[in-house]
Amino acid sequence: MGIFSDDRANELRSLFFDSSQEILQALNEDALLMEKSPRDPEIIRNIRRSVHTLKGDSAACGYKELSELAHAVEDVLTPEIAGRDGEALAELVLVSADAFDNLLSAFRNELQPPSTAPIYRLIEAIRNPHPQAAFAPGFLWTEYEQLVISRSAVRGQNVYNIALAIDPACPMRAAAVQLVRNVLQEFGSILVMRPEENATEIPDIIEVALASHHQLDWVERKSRIPTVVSKVCVLLAQQLPFVDPDSPLDLPPSPPAAVPPAPPAPSAEVPAGLSQREQDKARAAQAIRQVFERPRTRDERLPAATENVIRVEAERVDVVLDLVGELIIARSMMQDLLNEMNRALGNAPLRARSADALVFQSQILNKLQRAVMKIRMVPVEQMFRRLPRVARDTAKLLGREVNIVIEGENTDLDKSILDALAEPMMHLLRNAVDHGIEAPLDRAAAGKSPEGTIRLNAYHQGNQVVIEMSDDGKGIDLPRLISAAVASGTLTAEQAARISDGDALDLIFQAGLSTSTEITEISGRGVGMDVVKAVMDRLKGTVTVRSIPGEGTTFRLKVPLTLAIIKALLFRVSERLYAVPLGSVMEILRTRESEVHFVDGQEVLQIRDEIVPLIRLARLHPGGERKSKLFIIVVSLGERKVGLVVDRLIGEQELVIKALDETLVTTELVSGASILGDGRVVLILSVSDVVEKLGRGFGTDPRSAGAHA
Amino acid sequence: MEQFPALLRATDSQPIHYLVVDDSIFARKNLARIIDSYGGVLAGEAGDGCTAITEYDRTRADIVLMDITMPQMEGIEAAERIVRQHPDARVIMVSSVGYQENIVAALQKGARHFVQKPVKPELLYEVIKYVLGDAAVVASSAAGE
Repeated sequence: MGIFSDDRANELRSLFFDSSQEILQALNEDALLMEKSPRDPEIIRNIRRSVHTLKGDSAACGYKELSELAHAVEDVLTPEIAGRDGEALAELVLVSADAFDNLLSAFRNELQPPSTAPIYRLIEAIRNPHPQAAFAPGFLWTEYEQLVISRSAVRGQNVYNIALAIDPACPMRAAAVQLVRNVLQEFGSILVMRPEENATEIPDIIEVALASHHQLDWVERKSRIPTVVSKVCVLLAQQLPFVDPDSPLDLPPSPPAAVPPAPPAPSAEVPAGLSQREQDKARAAQAIRQVFERPRTRDERLPAATENVIRVEAERVDVVLDLVGELIIARSMMQDLLNEMNRALGNAPLRARSADALVFQSQILNKLQRAVMKIRMVPVEQMFRRLPRVARDTAKLLGREVNIVIEGENTDLDKSILDALAEPMMHLLRNAVDHGIEAPLDRAAAGKSPEGTIRLNAYHQGNQVVIEMSDDGKGIDLPRLISAAVASGTLTAEQAARISDGDALDLIFQAGLSTSTEITEISGRGVGMDVVKAVMDRLKGTVTVRSIPGEGTTFRLKVPLTLAIIKALLFRVSERLYAVPLGSVMEILRTRESEVHFVDGQEVLQIRDEIVPLIRLARLHPGGERKSKLFIIVVSLGERKVGLVVDRLIGEQELVIKALDETLVTTELVSGASILGDGRVVLILSVSDVVEKLGRGFGTDPRSAGAHA
Repeated sequence: MEQFPALLRATDSQPIHYLVVDDSIFARKNLARIIDSYGGVLAGEAGDGCTAITEYDRTRADIVLMDITMPQMEGIEAAERIVRQHPDARVIMVSSVGYQENIVAALQKGARHFVQKPVKPELLYEVIKYVLGDAAVVASSAAGE
């Protein structure tokens, strides 16, 4: 577990076991739905999400077999494959859910996990309907491993995919794996090997990608290690289809040369992959059923290892959190009442005692709220710990040297938020290695140390958590970014000429923009920056970027501590109540209509020595009259400041966010709603959406910009 | 005892020379018998790791059969020292199942293979043949059945 103390690791694990049961439950339910309607994209998305979470969590706990299997399953859960063979996919999901369950109970009880090889075979059969392209064992290397493999192939080495069944009669399986490693290393270089070195769980089949100068039959002969290996399957891997999870069907059917003419007699039990797909599938499914014969009832399962952990459904915690929310509303009712008493009773001693009681109650309420929220909190390290590996793999592939520095990993964050952040963070990290950190020679030439540094940091800031990733690379090439934006039609030439650096940097979050001159293997894949932004918006968070040419780039992700309760500033626009998260408010000021100026058709206000563009929220209510006195709420969006023009300020308050029925929300600008002590409804505005939709392109005519709101 | 087709050195067609290291005399005698059935020569014996090293220096046996648990110096360390001095040395660990970690360690230190006790002659034969690889040839039924 490396940098984590045992207690910490145990805590994470028991957490994981508890949460995974829920995931499995959801998975089973969804799989059953999928059996009924195998092509429903929504169901597939749900399943994919569950599997994805399981993958991430198990990886964080170091349960490699589980995370790898989940990864493989996740990869085939695409609408394309479902469209082609939804029934088989549904079957795979069910079988995988059983396998996950079995793996989990094995891990929980510290037993040898059952083999997952049959599932990989099933996955391969589903993934690859072209019989000639289907290889027998899994060989489901991760994308990075695949890249490593294809690189070696490019260097002119023979790359073999080797599957070796450990002799069932050999009781010393770890020793067997070590011996296989020794032998293979003698005549080639091991690119990938499963199980990895020092793995504690040994599968039945060892899978290796090996670069070697030897011929296939020689490799095959040498791989037959007596007493240790019972079956051998060696395939030339150069032509192993490069499996891109995003476009699994994109691969051309391998040319005949791809497959070695009849792989030298792989044993019948390890199908050569040349037989009919249906047969393969049936056989694999049968094998899976045998291997993963599960206990019939859930009750038979062994109890959790740790007795002092109570497993509760997340829903129950949510109910408590909801009730705490109601209490907070009740408290504001009391506060209202007290204010009224103030006016009616003046300084009556009763009033003072009520006030004391209320303060006391508030304190307890705060503690209660924090305690309940803490139930859902997990340390950021659960996500951070996966990142060094990602950085290492990416760096290795691209010939970079990167050092990862992690700070603030003990910062707590709501688990659902943390989960949602994992993908964006990985994307940002890969980008940083790929586009940020320069090649060692370039760095040396620029007077930097050849090894780049990427810093990850997390800390609390008020009711928000800030996660930062900074690299000391070359920074973002703004002129190129702007010209790319013009070329793609995101910006007009006129806008481009006027754009501020801050706005220009934000262009990287626009869909379809890339500054990289070459499409590298890393950047050509996965979620884009626009997706990072979309995730942050969903989380009511913000992502901002700062970049100094030659010195590096910093991404700053700001998310609320929890999705349930926020501190907000309440205000009124045209007699309706709104709120913005307090974390984004910089300052509040009053001004007069006469202070507002037009620059380039944009209303602006001079605040000290800064010019701040204004957004009139009154536009949300066409026909509202203008007042001569204005309240301006200055909100920050990264480097940018924007003034929201509102009619009246109400004050700051903790808001309990109520889920909004989508049909109720007529505008995209609202991220949630809340109920006040007196029963009034407050709409919580999403600052980034407001700026985006109402203030888009600060140079454009405000009326036309407002049209899409 | 069952006889196996004799293994000979590829270079000079001489029988394969063995060094047997085990602290149990019984185990050594048993291995000696098995080696005999392979048409091999017992070039040396040792009852502990230290002796094993000096014996290897003396005999330069083609194959070393090395027990894991022994007094004075354990098999792993003896194997490591032999391989460090003579990278070509072919050390095969012979051990009970319970010592898997030691086997793994020995393999990491350069042992070429492992077999488990009780030794099955037909398996050890295959293992030795594999470890010798191109260095050995199988005599054409010269050993007699």
